[in-house]
Formats: sequence, structure tokens, C-alpha cells
Amino acid sequence: MTPVLIVENLIKTYPAFRLGPVSFKVEAGSIMGFIGRNGAGKTTTLKSILNIAHPDSGSIRYFGQELPGNERAIKQRVGFAGGAVDYYPRKKIADMIAVTRSFYDNWDDEAYRKYMDIFSIDPQKSPRELSEGMKVKLNLVIALSHKAELLILDEPTSGLDPISREELLEIFTALKERGVAILFSTHITSDLDKCADHITYIKKGEIVASDTMESFITGHSIRGEGRNLEEIMLHYEKEDYREKFAE
Amino acid sequence: MKNLLNKELRLSSHLLSYLFLFFSIMALIPGYPILVSAFFVCFGLFQTFQNGRETNDILYSALLPIDKKDVVKARYIFVCLIQIIAFILMAVLTALRMTFFANATPYANNAMMNSNPVFLAWTLLIFALFNTLFVGLFYKTAYKFGKPFIAFIVASMLTICVAEVSHHLPGLEFLNTSDRLPLQFMLMFFALVIFVFATIISCRIAQRNFDLLDL
Repeated sequence: MTPVLIVENLIKTYPAFRLGPVSFKVEAGSIMGFIGRNGAGKTTTLKSILNIAHPDSGSIRYFGQELPGNERAIKQRVGFAGGAVDYYPRKKIADMIAVTRSFYDNWDDEAYRKYMDIFSIDPQKSPRELSEGMKVKLNLVIALSHKAELLILDEPTSGLDPISREELLEIFTALKERGVAILFSTHITSDLDKCADHITYIKKGEIVASDTMESFITGHSIRGEGRNLEEIMLHYEKEDYREKFAE
Repeated sequence: MKNLLNKELRLSSHLLSYLFLFFSIMALIPGYPILVSAFFVCFGLFQTFQNGRETNDILYSALLPIDKKDVVKARYIFVCLIQIIAFILMAVLTALRMTFFANATPYANNAMMNSNPVFLAWTLLIFALFNTLFVGLFYKTAYKFGKPFIAFIVASMLTICVAEVSHHLPGLEFLNTSDRLPLQFMLMFFALVIFVFATIISCRIAQRNFDLLDL
């Protein structure tokens, strides 16, 4: 089966930061955990994948199609949710949806009502009246109502309370079981422990590893670099500040 | 484009962009630099840009299944729509002043500009300045609107000064009279051509700049 997303040798250079080369694949019906500490390049990678930042080089293919030249058709099949982004915070959700639905060929009103009901979102409220967790759920409702086959989620669980995080992880797992692919960027390792099938680890703009969760953990465990995601992350990232202060 | 324009009207636009259309009525105020009305209409439009930044309108739009360049085109169409409504309102009021109130004392003794086709020409030039200097420069970043708006304020205020001084200059008195209408309409048509070309060229440049932006 063709992967829903293939990123190959993506490079983006800023004056003070270089991203890449970044390469990974996301398979249908799976969750790819895109992990790295703050500032590692996760959001820049996602922005490049969504064509709202321009990579210097590299290839991005969705559903077997190159992104350049097929952006409109591809975005019909992709949903995005960011943890800290809310659109039109003072508009009524119903008004926002009335406009948004017109852009999607596959918009399903029945599915929209069903997911709004499942997530207990009142369309007469405005996004600013929603909690952070509910805002992520609203973006998920939009993505699911236009039958997105791939969800790109930028730190959707950051800043959420444990219950909301747990709820979202359950939702992601349920969606995966229904064949939806999820690219889930986060620095919260415990979230990925619970739901990810694959892991792509990024450090200072470079991909350290991209593998199945099992191989990723086993490989690092054998080398004594950690037995779970948190320990592996600490192995890669921890700096000894006691030594630094002593200098 | 229809969907994007619908988004502009229902989600992106700020209420003040519509309410400031009422400043078109200033075209009838005697003893006042009435071209300021065109500036206020543009100031109302500025609120939509400010609102767009606060509501993540640009990011929302760029993520939709559309051609990114159409985001800019839709905004230009919205801006022009408001400007055209303002222009029509001012044109109607100008026609009223030049017919029913043609001999009214406040206008007969007005040292400042009276509304006439030349006033409408200057209005179109101020709208063209907004579209090129503010809207055009804004899309270089799609975020910073301070410098573009200052550039527009300076240019429009200078234009208003030039407009108010010009009809006092020897030989240019016809700019503020009710005779020589054919010449005045010709100037208005000339301003309309400048407005259309300036807006189209500025829109194309803004589309190109926006397409190259990292949001």
C-alpha cells in the first residue's frame, strides 16, 4: 500500500537554524509520533509539509502525488490541528463551519453533527469559550467532517490537563482503527507511548531515527540508551547543567 | 473565489470596515477637507487587516484547499468592493450637492474643496494609494502593518494637502467650480484608470510576495 505521506530529504535553512535532511513516511491507519524537544524543528517540518513554509529542497508526496501542482486536491484529504492555534475566536462556531464547509468537496453534514455531538461542542459558542482541549477537538471535527485521510497535528496535547490528553489519545487511537493516518508532533513522550506505531525523532533539525515504535525502543534499549521514549529522549537531549555551572 | 469572498465577508472582515462607509457623508461638509472621508473609508478597511492578524485569518486561509494566491485576490476584491460602495455613495452625494444645493451659501462661499468630479478623482487616487502602499506592502510579510499604514497616512495626507491647495492656484480654479464639467469628468476618468491599473499591478505583486512567504 502506498504511504499517505512520504517526505524525502527536506531541507530548510534559516540564518540561525538548519532543518534537515528530513525523511520519513506515514502509513494509512497508523500514528507516526514526531518527537523532539522544543525548537528541534518539528513545527518547521510540519509547515513545510503543509506548504506554508518553503523548503530549500526535498520532496513531499501525499497519496502518491507530489505536493507542488496538486496542493488543492491534496488539502481536500488532509486535516490540520495545532495545539495553540484558534481561528476567529469571537465568531460563532456555526458561522465558521458554514463558511469552512463550502471549501470541501466531501463535506458530510451528518458526520459533522455526529462528531459535534460526540465531543459535546455547542455550535452556538465561539472558539474563545472553549477549553484548549475542546479547541483541538473542534479542529478534529472539521477534519473528520471533510473525511480527511491524514491528520497533521502540531503538539495537540500541549498545555492540556491529564483527562483531556487521555481523551484525545483515545480519539486518535479510534481514528487510527478506522484507517485515518496521523502525524502527531509532540515533546510529551508519554502521549506517544500510549498510541504511536512509528516514531521519527528530530534533534537540532536533523532526523536521528525513523522506525516502528518497537524497533526504535528495542534498538535503543540494546545499546543502553533508554528503555522507553522518555529515557531515550533524556539520553539524546539532557545537558549537564551542574557541570556547566561549575565551569 | 466565491467561497473565499464569502469568507472575507462573513469571517475576515471587521464591522468597522462597513460602518466607516458612513464617512462618505463627509463629502457634503462645507469648510472641511472633505477628502479625509476617503482616508476614513481606508481606515475602516485597515481594521479588517488588524482583525485578520488577531484571528489567525491568514493561517486559516492558507490551510484551505485553495490556491494560496487567491487569498490575496479575495482580500483585494473585498477592499475594492468597499471602496466602490464608498465611491458610489460619494458620487450620489456629489450629484445632490451639484444639483439641489448648487447655489447653497455654505458651498458658494466655501474656501475648501466642494464635492465635484475632481473631488471624486482625488478620492480614487487615495484609494489607489491605499491599495498599493498599504495592502501591497502588507503582503510582503502578511503580518506587519505598521510601516505600510504609515506610508499610506503620509502619502494620503500629502495628497489631501495638494488637492486643497491646487484649486487656489492661478489657472487651476476650475478644479473647484461647477462649470467645465467635461474636463472635470475627464480627470475623474483618468483617476479611475490609475486606480484600476495601480490596484491590478499591486495585487499581482502582493500575490507573488505572499506565495513566497513562510507563514
